[in-house]
Amino acid sequence: MSTTRSPKVSERVAPKGADPKPGKNKRGASDDDGPDFRTLMHAWLESHRASLLDSLRRLGKQPIGSLFTCLVMAVALSMPMGLSLLLKNVERLGGSWQRAAQISLYLKLDAGTREGEALRDEIKGMPGVSEAEYISREQALEEFQQQSGLGEALRELPDNPLPGVVVVTPSEVDKPALEALRQRLAELPRVEVAQLDLVWVERLAAILKLGDRFVFGMAVLLISALLLVIGNTIRLHIENRRTEIEVIKLVGGTDSYVRRPFLYMGALYGLGAGVLAWGILAFSMSWLNDAVVGLSGLYGSDFALAGVPGSDGVSLLIGAVLLGYIGAWIAVARHLSELAPR
Amino acid sequence: MIRFEQVAKRYPNGHVGLHELSFRARRGEFLFVTGHSGAGKSTLLRLLLAMERPTSGKLLLAGQDLGQINNAQIPFLRRQIGVVFQNHQLLFDRTVFNNIALPLQILGLSKAEIAKRVDSALERVALVDKAQLFPGDLSTGQQQRVGIARAIVHQPALLLADEPTGNLDPRLAAEIMGVFEDINRLGTTVLIASHDLALIARMRHRMLTLQRGRLIGDGEAGQ
Repeated sequence: MSTTRSPKVSERVAPKGADPKPGKNKRGASDDDGPDFRTLMHAWLESHRASLLDSLRRLGKQPIGSLFTCLVMAVALSMPMGLSLLLKNVERLGGSWQRAAQISLYLKLDAGTREGEALRDEIKGMPGVSEAEYISREQALEEFQQQSGLGEALRELPDNPLPGVVVVTPSEVDKPALEALRQRLAELPRVEVAQLDLVWVERLAAILKLGDRFVFGMAVLLISALLLVIGNTIRLHIENRRTEIEVIKLVGGTDSYVRRPFLYMGALYGLGAGVLAWGILAFSMSWLNDAVVGLSGLYGSDFALAGVPGSDGVSLLIGAVLLGYIGAWIAVARHLSELAPR
Repeated sequence: MIRFEQVAKRYPNGHVGLHELSFRARRGEFLFVTGHSGAGKSTLLRLLLAMERPTSGKLLLAGQDLGQINNAQIPFLRRQIGVVFQNHQLLFDRTVFNNIALPLQILGLSKAEIAKRVDSALERVALVDKAQLFPGDLSTGQQQRVGIARAIVHQPALLLADEPTGNLDPRLAAEIMGVFEDINRLGTTVLIASHDLALIARMRHRMLTLQRGRLIGDGEAGQ
């Protein structure tokens, strides 16, 4: 008798009514050949279906406990996700942030309006440029007169001392890329000086970096907490089913058979937590949005928070299911060796 | 079917479970292993179930060397064995039907096939009308019969029983032994560990007697 093959029918005791003929045995075409692929596939699918249903049934038996576990996981998931969404909104607020990184090209004094406009059009087509605006010498003088309060004094000057300017808005706020763009623009004909306010750019980059790191750190911490929560929950399920696991192992259940319902349970907890986290985030963003719209209205802006994008929501669900699955896997792997039959 | 060749089992704490034990059992044989508490009966069963490995010697089960078997093969080995425990080891949150169906569910049989085999196993232990009850609703003797039904439902080549009548009155014990004999008549090798010498003597099967891990007797019970 091989350990991997069913014994011959003649080796077995046949319960009353069982068909002793190998050809009619539903476990395979012939016991001597072992089960066929179709039978094995059916067994595998049936085992998965049974594990999934069993896990659902057990979660359903303790609805309050399951809900609270999902809620704890949902809170842990929604905090880094919520912060990430807020950061995205801050970045979106970003016309103003990007404006802080504008490059001003002061043209030579003899550059006329037509040359300035041609330069603006050329710059608009360059890579890394989001927008370019030409301010003629006349416009610059008028603006300066209005804003500086030195209108009378400036009118006394024989010539307009201000050059034409092309204000370039870059498509991304990245210090090395901005510096490279500035150098490229400075080399253009008719450009006297290309000026980039790097202090603002650096501040902006530092703020965004800080935000990203904070979100990342928080995500790592909360994901660790989430794995601990799911691990501990699965450990309790394992403890409650210790006798069952020992019996399963004694009657020939493999480690993967034992592990399967717990993995489904972890994934289901993750799915529940993901759905709840999506709901929490959608509600929170909507609730915050009222205040944000009111505040931005006071500054004459129509800025409003974007909700949870569908793609982010789906990513959240997939991530939550994976985390639940991984947490359960770790818990079962740790405890499975302790569950040898006694 | 079973071959022990100088099999010894020593534990890390110095306790010796078995001393160089040697015996053979033929396919389809019915044998008892008896001895006082601590004689090595349970160790012998645990070795056969690959719950433990021999420290030395060679243990063959249907040609398979259990000292060399790898962990991944153990579940498949156990699918060829039925086990009956003294404390039944039933799952009290599952019906009688589902307890008995467990080995078949592990094999992945279809629902219809499982129902058919469980019904026939229930018929063999005379519990057909109890299928939908829970083990807690049954008497101790009935629970033991459920344990036997679970042990035979997957048609094992070898049936092991550890003190299967330990908690039963003499009438029930005899009844349970009758079930084992029925199963054995169909070709299954049956090995029962028991210290109930009076019961064993009535059965007139081969009896191995262990004492402190040594085989001190091998012959027909009652002789």
